[in-house]
Amino acid sequence: MPHQCTSCGRTFPDGSKEMLSGCPDCGGNKFQFKPAGATADADSGGAADSGNEAPGSAAGPSGSAADQSDRTPPTPAEGSAPVANDESEPTPDERAADRRPADSADPTPSDAAASPDSATDGTEQIADRSDEDTAQASARSEVVSPDELDRASRDVDPAETPPAEEEPQPGIDALRDELNDQFESIRIVSPGQYELNLMELYDRQEYIISLQEDGRYVIEMPDAWGIGEE
Amino acid sequence: MGLLTNLRDSISRVTDGLFAADEPKRIGIYGPPNAGKTTLANRIARDWTGDAVGPESHIPHETRRARRKENVEIERNGRTVTIDIVDTPGVTTKVDYKEFLDHDMEKDDAVRRSREATEGVAEAMHWLREDVDGVIYVLDSTTDPFTQVNTMLIGIIESQDLPALILANKTDLPGSDVQQIANAFPQHETIPLSALEGDNMDEVYTKIAEYFG
Repeated sequence: MPHQCTSCGRTFPDGSKEMLSGCPDCGGNKFQFKPAGATADADSGGAADSGNEAPGSAAGPSGSAADQSDRTPPTPAEGSAPVANDESEPTPDERAADRRPADSADPTPSDAAASPDSATDGTEQIADRSDEDTAQASARSEVVSPDELDRASRDVDPAETPPAEEEPQPGIDALRDELNDQFESIRIVSPGQYELNLMELYDRQEYIISLQEDGRYVIEMPDAWGIGEE
Repeated sequence: MGLLTNLRDSISRVTDGLFAADEPKRIGIYGPPNAGKTTLANRIARDWTGDAVGPESHIPHETRRARRKENVEIERNGRTVTIDIVDTPGVTTKVDYKEFLDHDMEKDDAVRRSREATEGVAEAMHWLREDVDGVIYVLDSTTDPFTQVNTMLIGIIESQDLPALILANKTDLPGSDVQQIANAFPQHETIPLSALEGDNMDEVYTKIAEYFG
């Protein structure tokens, strides 16, 4: 169930078009993306450690970090603060962790570092990115990002510390592919490189108003005005 | 701002009858990147309101958000046509930050510009679907008009039954070939102009009044 409404927690299967007109239950228009591999983790919490976080369980201090990493995603979903939920970013990093537990960490942090400056979740204020920086930063600080936890767990295994910062990592690429399957209107080839399906962009009633390199996205829907925003 | 123009228009409106539409038509200026859309929008806005719409640049995707200039009153042959002009980001099927690197831009800035440009295209397509009553389609007459983007956009415009004016811009440049554009879209009238130099703007305004009045 890759998509989850951040307001009511309802989940949607991969490729579902149901959510494109807003959450059928609560009308919310913010969703978090949860790849298939992440769902089990979210449900069972630390139980997934042995399977997915080998480096984490191998070392004492980071074991708890990995543990937390697994538990982090459900928290915003179960919480009662839908507005802040789009700041949680369990998906990309969990996915990266699932597939490549301790490999090439740097591209993800560099992407994440770029996000607060330029690709915030701003819906109305894309142009005023500078104004969003502090809000973004504070929102970020409220929940420890899985990204940081991911890095913490990776540090345990120095042998696999990646040298290059600019190399795209397979985990992110796979995420992009999956996202592209669902959003055919804009294909993210790599950070800063996009392919656009004009007909698809024209045909869809809602439109993407904010793109983010880590796979998050904000869409606006005509019948969702005022519901998800406060 | 345009006090005299307004006064003049008010008088002509009274004398000429009920020409003023209840609501100004919203005219989208569309076209590929670097065709001169913003230069044209600024030319129109400056000629009739004294204001500009947005910054012009040789670097593609300078316009990354649609910009609107409302209540532009264009007077032609004794009647006044009031339109809102919407300058849209250049529509393209590919945005690559690398093309900005040639323009002395840092990578981070280029990537950000690229992302904003992509959002801008999405926005422009959305506007085309819902928010425009007519289209001024601007093409660079020094480049080949037979592109996927042009064909697709003109097709969409036609399917919407939107009035469309095709402008062959940059006639001041040596490689300009207006006929090539006319051949590409024979079902539409093609008006040559240089928005930068202001060449042939009289005919452009006449056609705007004719098409969108």
